[in-house]
Amino acid sequence: MGYLYILYGFLILVAIGIILGVVLVFASKKFKVEEDPRIDAVEKMLPGANCGACGFPGCRGLAEGLVSGEVKKCSTCKVGKKDKHFDLIIEYMKAHPDKDGKTNVPTL
Amino acid sequence: MNATVPFIVTFLLAIVNATLMDNVVLIRFYGICSFVGVSNKVKPAFSMGVAVAFVTIFASLVCWPLYNFVLVPAGIPFMDTVVYILVIASLVQLVGLVIKKYSPALYKAFGIYLPLITTNCAVLGVAQGNTDSGLSFGLSMAQAIGTSAGFLIIIFLMACIRSRLDAMNVPKAFKGIPIALIVAGIMSIALIGLGGIGS
Repeated sequence: MGYLYILYGFLILVAIGIILGVVLVFASKKFKVEEDPRIDAVEKMLPGANCGACGFPGCRGLAEGLVSGEVKKCSTCKVGKKDKHFDLIIEYMKAHPDKDGKTNVPTL
Repeated sequence: MNATVPFIVTFLLAIVNATLMDNVVLIRFYGICSFVGVSNKVKPAFSMGVAVAFVTIFASLVCWPLYNFVLVPAGIPFMDTVVYILVIASLVQLVGLVIKKYSPALYKAFGIYLPLITTNCAVLGVAQGNTDSGLSFGLSMAQAIGTSAGFLIIIFLMACIRSRLDAMNVPKAFKGIPIALIVAGIMSIALIGLGGIGS
């Protein structure tokens, strides 16, 4: 009998999780915000450790900072490597200016 | 509470009690993180109060039926904390999405404190306390409304005081957070004066 509770608990949690997940998917579609596509690209090029050592909440925060020009140095990211991450980001930012044609190229 | 008192009176009394006499931040010491973290400017503080109030009320609205109609019949009431956290986390995500859409500046001002509402013990404390003490649905909503009103009022007052403190000549060692904690302590002492009226 006791074992059955484990099954119930599991099933109920899965069900609640799925329902809430579906609600959130619809909500995120409805409240979608148009963002600079470069933020996604730069976020992918960062190590993705989400360690917070840069002072931003997660890698996405740093990516936003780098794209907006608020962060000038790639080495704000403590775990990134020059050849693996920073060079790629600098190349990318050189090649992709913003809407007004300005480029915010971070240094190392 | 005796049985001859009409429900609406009990309901209103429970709200007042949860707002002032049993204030969530200054008497029960829940939710200190966002209370100190976001209270240095008035507008973000007020919005944070509203966001927490929204999450608290909706979490109670969802958690009470979930506990009494799903977890208890299934014989697994011990799973309550996990389920509540799941519900609260989703609600916070939802609030985050809405704020990001309608006020990016506010989203920036909240920063890390917005996702941290998930672990704001005021929210979980209310949902958990309601079901643990076996309150009826009406009374647990009163508890939720009162608690959120209490949080909103206190974080707003705190922000007003702190924005004035910025212009004051505070000793260097007390600048910023230390003086804020002292202010919180004094506010707490003031509220203790109301203690016991509820019972």
